[in-house]
Amino acid sequence: MKTSSTLITASLLLIVALGLTATNVNAETILRFGHPVGSGGKESMDPIHTNRFFHAILPVYNKLVRIDSNGLPEPSLAESWASSDNLTKWTFNLRQGVKFHDGSDFDAEDVVDLFSRINDPKYESPLASALALVDSVEALDAHTVVFNLASGHADFPLLLVDYRVRITPSGHGDTIGTTGIGTGPFKLETLDSVGTTALVRNDQYWEGASKLDRIEIIGIPDSQARVQAMLGGQIDWLLSVSAQQAPLFTNSPTFVTQTFPSGDWKGISFSREYEKFKDSRVRKALRIVVDRVAMIALVVGEKGGTVSCDTPVAPHDQYRLNMNCPPDIEGAKRLLAEAGYPEGIDVEVSTSEMDQHWVNIAEVYQQQAAAAGIRVKVNMEPPDGYWNEVWMQHPAFLSLWSSRPADQILNEAFRSGASWNESRFASDEFDSKLDMARQASTYEERARLYGEAQQILFDEGGTFIPYHLNVTRVLAKNVGGFGEVDDLHLRWHLIYKE
Amino acid sequence: MLALLIKRLLLAAITIAIVVGIVFIAVEALPGDTCTAFLGRAAQGVRLETCQEEFGLNRPALVRFSEWVFAAVQGDLGVSMARDTEVSELVGIRLRNTLLLGLSACLVGIPLAIMLGVIAGLWRDRPLDIGLSTFAIMIMTIPEFVFGTFLILVFSIWLGWLPGIVITRPDAPIQDFLKDIILPVIALAGIMTAHILRMVRTSVIDVMSSEYVKMATLKGVPYWTMVRRHVLPNSLIPTINLIALTIAWMLGGVVVLEVVFNYPGIGRLIVDAIGDRDLPLVQAIALVLAIIYVGLNLAADILTLLLNPKLRTMKFQ
Repeated sequence: MKTSSTLITASLLLIVALGLTATNVNAETILRFGHPVGSGGKESMDPIHTNRFFHAILPVYNKLVRIDSNGLPEPSLAESWASSDNLTKWTFNLRQGVKFHDGSDFDAEDVVDLFSRINDPKYESPLASALALVDSVEALDAHTVVFNLASGHADFPLLLVDYRVRITPSGHGDTIGTTGIGTGPFKLETLDSVGTTALVRNDQYWEGASKLDRIEIIGIPDSQARVQAMLGGQIDWLLSVSAQQAPLFTNSPTFVTQTFPSGDWKGISFSREYEKFKDSRVRKALRIVVDRVAMIALVVGEKGGTVSCDTPVAPHDQYRLNMNCPPDIEGAKRLLAEAGYPEGIDVEVSTSEMDQHWVNIAEVYQQQAAAAGIRVKVNMEPPDGYWNEVWMQHPAFLSLWSSRPADQILNEAFRSGASWNESRFASDEFDSKLDMARQASTYEERARLYGEAQQILFDEGGTFIPYHLNVTRVLAKNVGGFGEVDDLHLRWHLIYKE
Repeated sequence: MLALLIKRLLLAAITIAIVVGIVFIAVEALPGDTCTAFLGRAAQGVRLETCQEEFGLNRPALVRFSEWVFAAVQGDLGVSMARDTEVSELVGIRLRNTLLLGLSACLVGIPLAIMLGVIAGLWRDRPLDIGLSTFAIMIMTIPEFVFGTFLILVFSIWLGWLPGIVITRPDAPIQDFLKDIILPVIALAGIMTAHILRMVRTSVIDVMSSEYVKMATLKGVPYWTMVRRHVLPNSLIPTINLIALTIAWMLGGVVVLEVVFNYPGIGRLIVDAIGDRDLPLVQAIALVLAIIYVGLNLAADILTLLLNPKLRTMKFQ
């Protein structure tokens, strides 16, 4: 008995001693955060790669053009640009005196090389289709590049804002995935996506060196474990928390939370290939019946989303059409009656636990739609193979999309015949609005055209988009310099830790 | 004795073969494969076909399985599909980490369990025994992830003494893990101790009420001498099998705890590998776990045989 109490005392002392060593002060300022290891250890530092290591790439590379807080393009590695009158030829003047982390100069050749890599089938870059508009890229001199487009596009600089179009040094295509040589405020020191990836400050950064010495990105696949690491002070920044987890941090004096709208959305697509959904009145009735505010509160919590009236364009996008769409049960009933369903309609919606909100969205939809005589049967599908066997295969299914600029999302997911047009929406009027918008020379005109296109989606479309997700990020009290913008648009060199 | 050993070894080999077969069928039966898991929404048309061709997934399952078995028997576990690395390399380092965790837990848990179990047994129904037994039952009923999370809450979040989750690189030297493993070891050892403690207690109580202990007491053997000479050896033999079973169980418990603590061991690896449909990796880990499980049971049986004269001299056909 005596021995056991001695043992317990001894082990307690040991724990205390080890605990004290754990709190020793770091001389360096290191920003630590966890990432979910989405590619299971295959993360690549090549920005155009399918397995790009998102959060390590952001502070290491620069884009030619970035976006300001109003959603407008702003110079980054390109200082200025101008287009020909027919909008097919774009000339970019590049910033001079910028150096890559290996000491070489950034010049026009690097831009040309990047675009030839994007279009090289060897790299299988998902960017190839997003930038298919670019016919050729040529270097006029060391600091001027010309993009020749297949057809005119007034907002071409916005295409270059894409988070993957980041400048890599020419001739490094085969090694960039592990070397991570960029022009950004941080240099890659160690790449270990499962363990700890270390970035160090780039003292020569063209916008001014960061106040941080290092950034450490730690692989923590489990979201609960990331929350615990944040609570325990092992990391300084939690990329996002769910509505359920947020109260752990919002009421604490040691943390700061920031909530901002992201462009990510989830919704239900009703495919026009399916007989019942051919009639646009049915498609509209299925969407206007929903009380979106109540759905947000039930699925993601009151502050978890920003209402969308079935527009995929993000709330902070300059081309977002602001609409009002309160639940219209009588209107839905009337539309259904006109379309030949006076007794209501039976609809099957396929959902899955693959996404944390999908099942809830389907269930809330089922409840709310019943008010207009829409009898929803919710089909639970296995998460495995969902994208192959359910998505775009079943008549109605849950879907999700990450943030994209207005022009890109409208073309990628709604233009007639687009390969990811999940509701098989087809409207010549809609397509021509998008074409005209690309050709329009003034912002006002483009805004009007993109707005009209979004109105068409609300009137006739087959995709129900109740809200855009809001992201809640958690920061330690002593960390700052994060604007209220998503991770893509952070100014990494301004982040500091006291 | 030798015949028995050979028979047990053969049985063990068959068990392992069956486990590996079942795991293959189970993973194969799941919808989707490495390519659909990896490509996600882009898993269509040419990209899907090229991917499946690259990994040889378009060939019949039986062909792939027999090829894998053939290579595995020769010690070649193949290349991980989703991770582009030799499976043996991936599994090796993770296995080391899991063993570090498991062995540390055994080192703490087993002596503690035996000590407390003997104490509880000798002082049966006294406050000390009631306290220990109640505590053991409480810990046994709490799922390991709840216990683990509770430890993180107290020692990492409230007190801030220990790291809550492990952020050390998987291939870091062992000493780097020492601070990290304290909480998971406490969680594992706690649960292990509770199970073994109760078994030891029962066993001690049984032996204490046996005829030969009464005889020894009547003969005037001093109490502590009797405990040391007769009670301990006789009551500990039945617990050997339980200890082996508990360690084997721990391999399952460790999967959950590794996820809770973000510990880079074999448990977290198999969870990720199943998510990625990384068949060679899942197979290899299942093989390793089966070998450990069967091996432990075999070792426990043999040890019991060696320690128990009655069983040692028994005739086996």
